[in-house]
Amino acid sequence: MTTPADTRTAADIPAAPRAPLLRAAARHSGCRCAALCLASTSATAANLILPFALGRALDLLLTDPEGARATRWVLVCTALVLLLAMLDAGETVLGATTNARVTAWLRRRLVGHVLSAGPRTVSRFGAGDLVARLVGNAAQAGTAPATAAALLAALAAPAGAIVALWLVDPRLAAVFLGGAPVLTLLLRALARDSSRCAARYQEAQGRIAGGLAEAIGGFRTIAAGGTADREAARILRPLPELSREGRLMWRVQGRAAARAVTVAPLLQIGVLAVAGVLLVHHQLSVGDLLAASRYTVLATGVGVLVGQLSGLVRARAAARRLAELLTEPATPYGTLHMPPGQGRLELRGVTVRRGGRPVLDGIDLTVPGGGTLAVVGRSGSGKSLLAAVAGRLADPDDGEVRLDGVPLSALSRDALRGAVGHAFERPALLGETIADTIALGVRAASVDRVRDAARTARADAFVRRLPEGYATRCTDAPLSGGEVQRLGLARAFAHGGRLLILDDALSSLDTVTEHHIAEALFRPSPGSSRLIIAHRASTAARADRVAWLEGGRLRALGPHAELWRGAEYRALFGAGGAAPEQCPKGSPGAAGTEGDESDAFGAAGPASEGGPS
Amino acid sequence: MTVYRRGLRLLRAHRRAVAALAAWSVVEAGQAFLMGYALARALDAGFLAGRARTGLGWLGAGALAVVVGAYGTRRVYGGVAALVEPVRDQLVRHVVARGVREGDGGALSGLTQQVEIARDTFAGLVMVSRSFLFTAAGALIGLCSLDPLLLLVVAPPLAAGLALFVLTLPPLARRQEAFLVADEEIADHLGRICPGLRDIMAAGAEARVTTGAGVRIAVELRAARSLARWGVLRVVCLAVGGQLPLVLLLATAPWLLAHGVTPGALVGALAYVTQSLLPALQNLVHGLGTSGSRLAVVLRRLTPDPPPTASGRDGALRTAVPPTDSTRAPQTTAPPNGSTGARGTAVPPTGDGPRPSAPLSHPLGTPASSGHAPDAGPALSVTALTFAYGPGGVPVIENLHLRVPRGAHLAVVGPSGIGKSTLMGLVAGLLEPTSGTIQVNGQPVHGRAAREEPAWIQPLRGPTACEQRVLIPQEAYVFTGTLAENLGQLRPGPVPEAELRAAAEAVGLDGLMERLGGPAAAVDPRTLSAGERQLIALTRAYLSYAPLALLDEATCHLDPEAEERAERAFAARPGGTVVVVAHRISSARRAARVLVMDGRRAVLGDHEELVERSPLYRDLTGSWSHALTASPRPARSGSRRCGYGPRSCA
Repeated sequence: MTTPADTRTAADIPAAPRAPLLRAAARHSGCRCAALCLASTSATAANLILPFALGRALDLLLTDPEGARATRWVLVCTALVLLLAMLDAGETVLGATTNARVTAWLRRRLVGHVLSAGPRTVSRFGAGDLVARLVGNAAQAGTAPATAAALLAALAAPAGAIVALWLVDPRLAAVFLGGAPVLTLLLRALARDSSRCAARYQEAQGRIAGGLAEAIGGFRTIAAGGTADREAARILRPLPELSREGRLMWRVQGRAAARAVTVAPLLQIGVLAVAGVLLVHHQLSVGDLLAASRYTVLATGVGVLVGQLSGLVRARAAARRLAELLTEPATPYGTLHMPPGQGRLELRGVTVRRGGRPVLDGIDLTVPGGGTLAVVGRSGSGKSLLAAVAGRLADPDDGEVRLDGVPLSALSRDALRGAVGHAFERPALLGETIADTIALGVRAASVDRVRDAARTARADAFVRRLPEGYATRCTDAPLSGGEVQRLGLARAFAHGGRLLILDDALSSLDTVTEHHIAEALFRPSPGSSRLIIAHRASTAARADRVAWLEGGRLRALGPHAELWRGAEYRALFGAGGAAPEQCPKGSPGAAGTEGDESDAFGAAGPASEGGPS
Repeated sequence: MTVYRRGLRLLRAHRRAVAALAAWSVVEAGQAFLMGYALARALDAGFLAGRARTGLGWLGAGALAVVVGAYGTRRVYGGVAALVEPVRDQLVRHVVARGVREGDGGALSGLTQQVEIARDTFAGLVMVSRSFLFTAAGALIGLCSLDPLLLLVVAPPLAAGLALFVLTLPPLARRQEAFLVADEEIADHLGRICPGLRDIMAAGAEARVTTGAGVRIAVELRAARSLARWGVLRVVCLAVGGQLPLVLLLATAPWLLAHGVTPGALVGALAYVTQSLLPALQNLVHGLGTSGSRLAVVLRRLTPDPPPTASGRDGALRTAVPPTDSTRAPQTTAPPNGSTGARGTAVPPTGDGPRPSAPLSHPLGTPASSGHAPDAGPALSVTALTFAYGPGGVPVIENLHLRVPRGAHLAVVGPSGIGKSTLMGLVAGLLEPTSGTIQVNGQPVHGRAAREEPAWIQPLRGPTACEQRVLIPQEAYVFTGTLAENLGQLRPGPVPEAELRAAAEAVGLDGLMERLGGPAAAVDPRTLSAGERQLIALTRAYLSYAPLALLDEATCHLDPEAEERAERAFAARPGGTVVVVAHRISSARRAARVLVMDGRRAVLGDHEELVERSPLYRDLTGSWSHALTASPRPARSGSRRCGYGPRSCA
């Protein structure tokens, strides 16, 4: 059994392996990383030997072109080049596959974790950010082990080249080291000035995107008015600015590139000049000069090292963002099965805090088996959170929720999710097709089960009118808010279970549809109980009892008719002074304030715009 | 490959930019040429001959070439910008036009991400291929000028490596593309999962969803592996084209030296191979394969139809603002002859008084006053209309006949999802009927006549159906701009302020207009409530010249009084016909005729007839308000508490 204290320690456990996420990833591809390190280091070694061998071969060729020693050194060079090509090939394959493996490993692990942590991750990070982390950051972090494995080689190449230069002649190394700081200074200077026009570019782009987003929202208006061209022209007004800033960015980049391409060759020419003078004084051979020139090029490869290091830093930053996802603990489940029962739900002293403030405060409630309880209250009173806690989509900080006597946290995942069905105000359409989304919570759902559920939710008719009926892809279905809501209800009906929780799941329905669904919903069913978050008086009126939440506390509990006598209760439904008799049970007589749709018919509900607030 | 063909067409279109780019590339490539040549001369004529000064002089020339080349590099970026930025502009235009026309939310990510990827990869392609071309040319010319024999040794393996690269390009590009597609598939999939984590948990579907995501991750991993293995081919190309010449130069050195190649020339040749040709080939091989396929994928996403023409798919969406509007111009600029006060009285504030029998002169130019008297047919005529969303779907509307005379006020009622908005979409030309015809003021909404007509004909004939009706959907469109811009969106030219104010007062926007600070005030849609946005959309439609107004739950966020005021304003437009998808019973009761949609059947009649004939209508009105049937005339109209204005319409 999990007490709230357990939950909190569970929260602390995943915080610890923050740093080791990458280490674990590297361990997962340990052999590959080792092989990669070996291959890249060997390649660097071969690369460092090659100029020396080239130099020797050249000297011998110039002195004794047909000699056996010359041939031997030419063969050495050939072997080195061949070895380099093979190592390069190995490195390419190993590096790329390691990146892919680690990325896939990270994604699998994190997707699994995010799914088991549930909706808290979304509310904390936001869906868009979550996707960005799982897609982009995982790919970035996935390059970390391979980059780290190749780091030794990247470090060894310029360092070894400078040493080799010093071995050829210390004065050459001195020339290089004297000129190198200029190189770093110049390279650093150019990182700065490109950010300003980039910001202006993005700003212009943002204005276009903003206008486009508005126009996409108003697509029907624009299409019907035939004003698409004018709208496009208006939205594109910042385009010249975008173009200007874009060109400016290229110019800045060009200046930077010009500086970058100057420094290395100039350093090389400097080294060559000194080597040439030494050659005149017979202190160096032509082969040494050639080797020195090659070593200089290798030594300026310090830029590669910088790039690799910054890549590693980026990968680590990405890994940190991934590890943040792990700090949201996975939901722990118990092992118990459901005992026989009718879905009696008990909340005992349930308190939930958000940001240190209690959002639900010591709620005690019971829904008897087979009974219905409506929960009403102003927005922000904690109704949705209550629904989430009752179905264990969130855990209370204090208190306990029991279903047929068993604490929810002690139930196994299958037992809990099988017993509790949910429908939401705005369900997400998951799965490929409409049939899939209705059958989301059902293993191997039959066609009949899906259709029956859709019929009960009054969704069958409009689903059959979709381009491919039940096989229509969710992404292709032109659905209104009310229709989506009915698919969510169908999903809950197909799921079944002994407790059904409706979180404002009737809000976008017209009254006729609501009436029919409510008939099915409130039909006496001895085997299951229902908890219904309601906005309309008509819905509350049908429930056995109504729980009235205010500021996270239970303000009143009783039958609707009883509570209706209070003016403040009536005011919840915007029915200020209406006499209680005028709004009898079963009639939505109490009607709307602005934004409320209690008197709406044929209202598809606000599809994208904010609903009743 | 179409991308390359498109690329060629583009290069032809920007000939001058290409020429400038080539010129600066030559300046840049001077360095590639001179580096090896100067080194060879410095050795042969200078250091090896014991003349240090000559050697240093040649090296100085090389350094100068580096600096000049760097200037060339800098200008090359400008040349690339001249080529890339117009393409980016064109893509942005295309994406915006498509987003506006098709209302596709994907256009947004296209604008901010894919266009940028296209820009970067295209620039990369231009850079890399151009750099290879000119560097290789510079180096080969340098080799040739050192000694033509050197060219004989270096050129064949280089050509072989290049040929191999060209051969491997298509299979590599295919694998690169498979990888990119798999990556996007993951992003799409996660993009659908992440907002639905709550639903997944509630359904206990974690394992199933994890498996689904796992499959996609595995697909991408497979694609990445395959791509990595094919990457070996790139290494082979490099080895053949870049490393083999080095080995060959050494192996043939005795022969070369015997045939008059100087030691300096040999060192110079080695420098050309290792410092110019190999890096250029490296960039080409790594850059072209990746960016080429990336660009291909992105362009296919951005421009789904191969020829990126400006015309939209839906004919009805084509009609733009009439190009020349000489007939209307006087109307627009003329001062409104109905004063603000007069307009105000056109709508009785309480809604209880008699409707003005002779409406005050409409200050708006109506099509009747525009010179083309569209005398043919009623305001709306629907004949044998059938519509289904797809071949596999049951028809939403089947064999519907409907005639709405001019000046009429029709309400459409029915349960949600029954097809009311679909009907509005069909009348507004947003959807194509499966069969049947729709005419607005005698003008066909669909079909050839409404579509394939050259723009120059427009001034010569009567207004199109598009100009005859205005649709106000539930989701009100308000854009960032001034209030006047928003209100005048459906008008060809700017609307005089007095007219704006009069319309605002008629529809009920006056309060908001004052609060915002008049018509010139800036509007930020995010700071407005849904109801305020609807008021703006309604006033905009009111100001349009279209005589037929389609209110598709356009007042659902307004309170009953505001709704009544707005609807009455539309009903009072002279010659103005209103079709309202009713959101409240009050709205339906205001209409003289009601169309009840019930599945595929539809019944038309006035309230009393329908109460008798249509069980659904009884059901709707009954569940709307039980009090309505009990007492049809409560004391106060527009009663806020019960949400209907029970006064029956005259």
